[in-house]
Amino acid sequence: MSTATAVSSTAPNSVPLGLIPTPFLPQLEAVSRAKSWTNWAGYISPLVLDTMEFEYFAIRNQATLFDISPMHKYRISGPEAGPMLERMMTRNVGKIREGRVGYTLWCDEEGMLIDDGTLFRFGPDDYRLCCQEPMFSWLLDAAWGFDVTIEDQSHSVAGLSLQGPTSFSVLKAAGLGAAETLRPFDLAEVEPGLWISRTGFTGDLGYEFWIDWDKAPALWDRLWEPGQTWGLRAIGYEALEIARIEAGFIAAHADFQPVHGAIRLGRGRSPLELGFERLVDFDKGHFNGRRALLAQRRAGLKRRLVRLDIGGFKPAQGALIYHRKRREIGHVTSGIWSPTAKRNIALAELKAPFGGAIKTNLWTEIYLHEEGQWDRRMVPVQIETKPFFQTPRARLTPPAPF
Amino acid sequence: MTGVNDFHTVVIGGGHNGLAAAVTLATKGKRVCLIERDETLGGMARTVEVAPGVQTSQIAHLLYNLNPTVLKELGIADQIKAQSVALPTVSLSPDGRHVVVDGDKVRYSDGGAHPEARAAAVLIGRLRKFAAILGQLSTKSPPKLEGGITSLATLGELAGLAKLGLNLKRLGKEEMREFLRIALSNIADVLLDELDDGPLPGALAADAVRGAFAGPRSPGTVFSLMYRLGNGGEVRLPKGGMGMLTDVMATAASEAGCDIRTNAPVTRIVVEDDRVRGVELTDGTMLTCRAVLSSAGPLQTMQMAGLANFDVEALRRMRNLRVKGTTARLTLVLSGKPAFKDLPEGLASARILIAPTVGAVERGFNPAKYGDLPTAPTLEMVCPTLSDPALTSEGRHVLSIIIDHVPQEPTGGWTDAARSALTQTAIDRIAAHAPGLPGLVQDSILMTPTDIEALTGAPGGHWHHAEMGLDQILTLRPANGAGHYSLGIRGLQLCGASAHPGGDLTGAPGRNSALHLLKETWA
Amino acid sequence: MGAQDRYDAIIAGAGHNGLTTGCYLAKAGLKVLIVEKNDWIGGAAVSRMLHNGWTYSNCSYVCSLLRREIVRDLELPKYGLQVIPYEGGATFTRDGDYFAYHSDHDALRREIARHSPADVDAYTRFSQTVIRQCRFIRPFLLRNAPDPTSLAPRDLQELLYLVKKTHDLGAREIGETLRFWTVSIGDFLDEHFESDLIKAHLAGSGIIGTGLGVYSPGTAYVLLHHYMGDVDGAIGAWGFARGGMGAISNALGACFNEAGGTIVTGSGVDKFLVEGGKVTGVALENGDTYSAPIVASNMDVKRTFLNHTDAADLPDSFTRAVKRFKIRGSSGKLNIALDALPEFPAAPKGANFLRGDMHCSTSLQELERAYDDWKEGRWSQDPYFDMLIPSQIDPTMAPPGKHMMTVFVQYAPYDLEVDGVRKGENWTDANRKAFADTVFDKIEQCCPDIRSRVVHAEVRTPWDIEREVGLTEGNIFQGELTFDQLLFNRPVPGYANYATPIDGMYLVGSSTHPGGGVMAAPGANAAREILRKAKKGRPMKGYAA
Repeated sequence: MSTATAVSSTAPNSVPLGLIPTPFLPQLEAVSRAKSWTNWAGYISPLVLDTMEFEYFAIRNQATLFDISPMHKYRISGPEAGPMLERMMTRNVGKIREGRVGYTLWCDEEGMLIDDGTLFRFGPDDYRLCCQEPMFSWLLDAAWGFDVTIEDQSHSVAGLSLQGPTSFSVLKAAGLGAAETLRPFDLAEVEPGLWISRTGFTGDLGYEFWIDWDKAPALWDRLWEPGQTWGLRAIGYEALEIARIEAGFIAAHADFQPVHGAIRLGRGRSPLELGFERLVDFDKGHFNGRRALLAQRRAGLKRRLVRLDIGGFKPAQGALIYHRKRREIGHVTSGIWSPTAKRNIALAELKAPFGGAIKTNLWTEIYLHEEGQWDRRMVPVQIETKPFFQTPRARLTPPAPF
Repeated sequence: MTGVNDFHTVVIGGGHNGLAAAVTLATKGKRVCLIERDETLGGMARTVEVAPGVQTSQIAHLLYNLNPTVLKELGIADQIKAQSVALPTVSLSPDGRHVVVDGDKVRYSDGGAHPEARAAAVLIGRLRKFAAILGQLSTKSPPKLEGGITSLATLGELAGLAKLGLNLKRLGKEEMREFLRIALSNIADVLLDELDDGPLPGALAADAVRGAFAGPRSPGTVFSLMYRLGNGGEVRLPKGGMGMLTDVMATAASEAGCDIRTNAPVTRIVVEDDRVRGVELTDGTMLTCRAVLSSAGPLQTMQMAGLANFDVEALRRMRNLRVKGTTARLTLVLSGKPAFKDLPEGLASARILIAPTVGAVERGFNPAKYGDLPTAPTLEMVCPTLSDPALTSEGRHVLSIIIDHVPQEPTGGWTDAARSALTQTAIDRIAAHAPGLPGLVQDSILMTPTDIEALTGAPGGHWHHAEMGLDQILTLRPANGAGHYSLGIRGLQLCGASAHPGGDLTGAPGRNSALHLLKETWA
Repeated sequence: MGAQDRYDAIIAGAGHNGLTTGCYLAKAGLKVLIVEKNDWIGGAAVSRMLHNGWTYSNCSYVCSLLRREIVRDLELPKYGLQVIPYEGGATFTRDGDYFAYHSDHDALRREIARHSPADVDAYTRFSQTVIRQCRFIRPFLLRNAPDPTSLAPRDLQELLYLVKKTHDLGAREIGETLRFWTVSIGDFLDEHFESDLIKAHLAGSGIIGTGLGVYSPGTAYVLLHHYMGDVDGAIGAWGFARGGMGAISNALGACFNEAGGTIVTGSGVDKFLVEGGKVTGVALENGDTYSAPIVASNMDVKRTFLNHTDAADLPDSFTRAVKRFKIRGSSGKLNIALDALPEFPAAPKGANFLRGDMHCSTSLQELERAYDDWKEGRWSQDPYFDMLIPSQIDPTMAPPGKHMMTVFVQYAPYDLEVDGVRKGENWTDANRKAFADTVFDKIEQCCPDIRSRVVHAEVRTPWDIEREVGLTEGNIFQGELTFDQLLFNRPVPGYANYATPIDGMYLVGSSTHPGGGVMAAPGANAAREILRKAKKGRPMKGYAA
């Protein structure tokens, strides 16, 4: 997509048409050579700023900035915020302590995933949910009957993600060395109004900043100059997507369809099918979809999401998976060549019993388009249990300089 | 060892459905405790003293839909029959040629033959025939949808449906087609296709929509009339007021060994590990049990059990139930016998309707849609003291009136002014046919939907606890996913009018829910 | 062309359904004649120049429902049919604001949030339900309605198809589907949205063309009936036919001619000729008669059998059923020639949502009151309307710089009540003008200068539409879309498969399954039935054939 600018009108009641800017758009435009933008929740968001490969290697080698302001953010507070969230979420929310962030999933009454996200706990009764899908009406519904206030902060709180091995060094250079003590999933207000969480979407050392929309541009500038010493680059979505798959994180609309947005029936997937048994706490009392998930567990899963190591060197995005090269048993939901692992990796959905009882003799059919010619290859695949990218520096506290 | 507060089942609510559930369980040998928050049982079926020495039904005043299967199972059929008297219906006409409807026989009140008597008999006969077939569903659980409509789990219920289909087939192709055509239709068209508009179709239209947030033109009102006619539709006046029904059922409950406790409001239904464990009362008493059958509304029941125990969607459906009460009850205490123009004295004890045309009934509904008080409401009235002199003394009488299509809460609320305006509107409307009436009125007692809700707990003051619309019947009653009495938690069931088959004094939801509970292996 | 010409099939009425049936029959090799009472073809889908240089789509005015299978089978684009989606829509308030239904997804979300933040995601939920229901129902449109009273293999097959499709939905969705089909659009919207304005904007589709109010059960289905079409796969989208709705009829007419069919205009059917329970042909009002063993009527069921068929040729029970079929006039229309685009002071200049459907009804209660007026035989004092200016997109509709505006108005009774008497003749010129004034007064809510822009206006009441087009009571669907008149009940129980009690005679208009709207499905389905029963000709291989 080419550059799109927000169309604003002079009529008092009119809303902007087309894509609108995040607070970081001026900074992003200044470094954008590719002029390659996409629509992220109505905002102008970079696909590539310069060159996807260089941006990717900056994630794994230096430090990167990615604008996550379009994420949806909801403040959930009040005396019954805890019970309300406990009823909504599949995991035990009570185990997320104050000053911590938890990865969490929530389901509809049929146990199908509505979305996943991160839950920030600011105080005993004070949370913020950060997710990809708009969730305001659902939160209002889920809060009915509970003494809770839901505030949509999507357009008032900006987000910025600093990821990569030198990210702490960038922080320190920018005068934010106080974040040194943050362990993974810790959250702290390092300066008035500036919250930092040690979270991210790359599987590497990284931090996310949360700040008032209008104060956000200054934060970028504060990090940018000192960051240059540590190789800081701004990146777009395409580079991040590779890091995301390497780290084994799932993405909405790729690895699962958020059930509220699916028109067709049967497109929803349960946390169990997606491999998140550990984030479903059947013992904590009732939560939305619990009865359906119990029934699903009793009946046995009909499909599951797995990690695949794919033969050859050609990414398998969108490819079908076969058993014994004949029976179609699933498809790749996310597939890339991993430049770091030097492996051909993918997330894929397999019908039961494949991926469970049967793990061998699996094949994928890759269609390849090279310079005007289509080619079809059947290559073997292996099921992997561990993420394709794991590094001890991601967990080290205090973090290393690089 | 079983303590005094240990039960198999606690039934919440001492209305007739709660009593039917309690008796059904107790006669099957279960230890049952029935709790009622008020000091007296009965819900909408009570007799009260409205003036010294004058007693009358407080809310529901006529029986017409008691389920014979339920009465038989409860062993009270003969008693109820003996203690009630059948009444004809009179539909008042502005021109004085009032229409008497007695079963499917129609005539003028002056004894003259009604020109449409034959057409009416055919139509009423057909509706009754259809109603009887539909009525078979009311003592069965509605078809379950889990696992799809062809799964084995539903075969039992499908058999019920198949029997319904078979009975329809037996009607013959033409009648079956007619059934399928009109079943979901509106009563105005079905009546006016056969009859000229007037007090006769007016009366049938009024019966179709009484208690409903619907006018005769609303699709679904043929169904509501058939529901009313499901057990024949004969109108009977309970002797001693509607409290008679409650007394008979309460006696049956006690005899079956049921522990009945009044003045026992619920603090909460105790749920552990997705199962019912007991009921805590406001006085701190803990009743332990493995099942709770609640005749309170679904939302109220969920609140008692803790909203966190229910899925968001299930709760949302209950929040969205259509449950706007639409009828008010007016009781007039009269110093003497009421007399109606051009109505033979012998018919003054009949059920009397003011529903001059189908159009008028529809028009009567209009204001309620906008939160306005009715200006020309449809009325159903009966003077019970004429048939049952024991209710009164010193020559006084009672006129017991149902005012149709009253807003649940008018714009501005039920102020004193609104209440007296409604009372006056009703009296004026009756006085057009009974000029002497205003002079006889000694006292008037008005119960608005809000009052009825406050007294009985019926959601919205709605006498069916949830609108009997096509979108809220059978498997969808009270809402999708809750059509089988259960609300998800093991042991927690609805047993009131909001459950299948629905409202009116039938006893069926209570009895069905109890039988449904007994089918559970753990029960 | 002689008075004794013989054909394989004759179709009475050149509406879009009659033409569609004609096309399929002619393409199967039958010799087909279509007779039409007007001097033009198209029935209620016509474009006529009634004022110098301005083209009006006199009755139907926008396109969505026309089944894409039929468009492909009959290659209508080859004959000039072009449908352009419109760009949104708006409802204007009395106080200078509006709700804009932007086609841009993000802008729509922002606009909903401007009125009610809680309604933004609710709209997603609403659309999900509606589109799911559309996807469920669409396969049934080009099939016969299942008849549960019949044990004939074909009927059982249709019934099984329904059972299978329903079973595939799963428990929850079956429940939601049953509920959707029985609930009112008002209740359905109330449980999704908080904003009265947004509810009012969406509710119109639940009542357009019917004698029902927004709170009448079954109106959610009526909404579906307006959403189940598409423009190039965008379900629920609506568009303009370039050159007006007549472009559809003209394309069908051209297709029919090319397939060898004959159209005779200028004289309608006086009588369907029947001998010994078998149809033999038609006698026209001008005295001509034509013979054919197959005769199909595009007229509605009441007009066909109560006005143009000898009652002696019909079983009494059938005639009774036809008499009680409900065809209720409930809508009128204004076609307006404008000397310039009117001002919309509330909207940004050139706003794209002005190139869509515009309304001025701001609450469900307002819509319900409009219905209450109609029940009493009055036109709505505060009416609902669906207003468009197609000339903004389609240059063929008005002279350069000038504009054409179409205003569909609900409710207007067929039998207007004056002094306690309800009859169509009460639509005098004075009353027609008063009706138009009521509408113009309300249009001024969004276009204060509208009256000064009017060059010419055509006022069409249900009474006018009946007299010109031949639709009983001027009802746009040839029969109410209520439960008692849908699927196997449409138009008459036992006769839902396009056949009639008269051997060789068929109904092909919107009185039959799946009902009204410029869908052409009844016409295509009827052609399929005719060819099957007559065992004549070779049906084309196609999507709807």
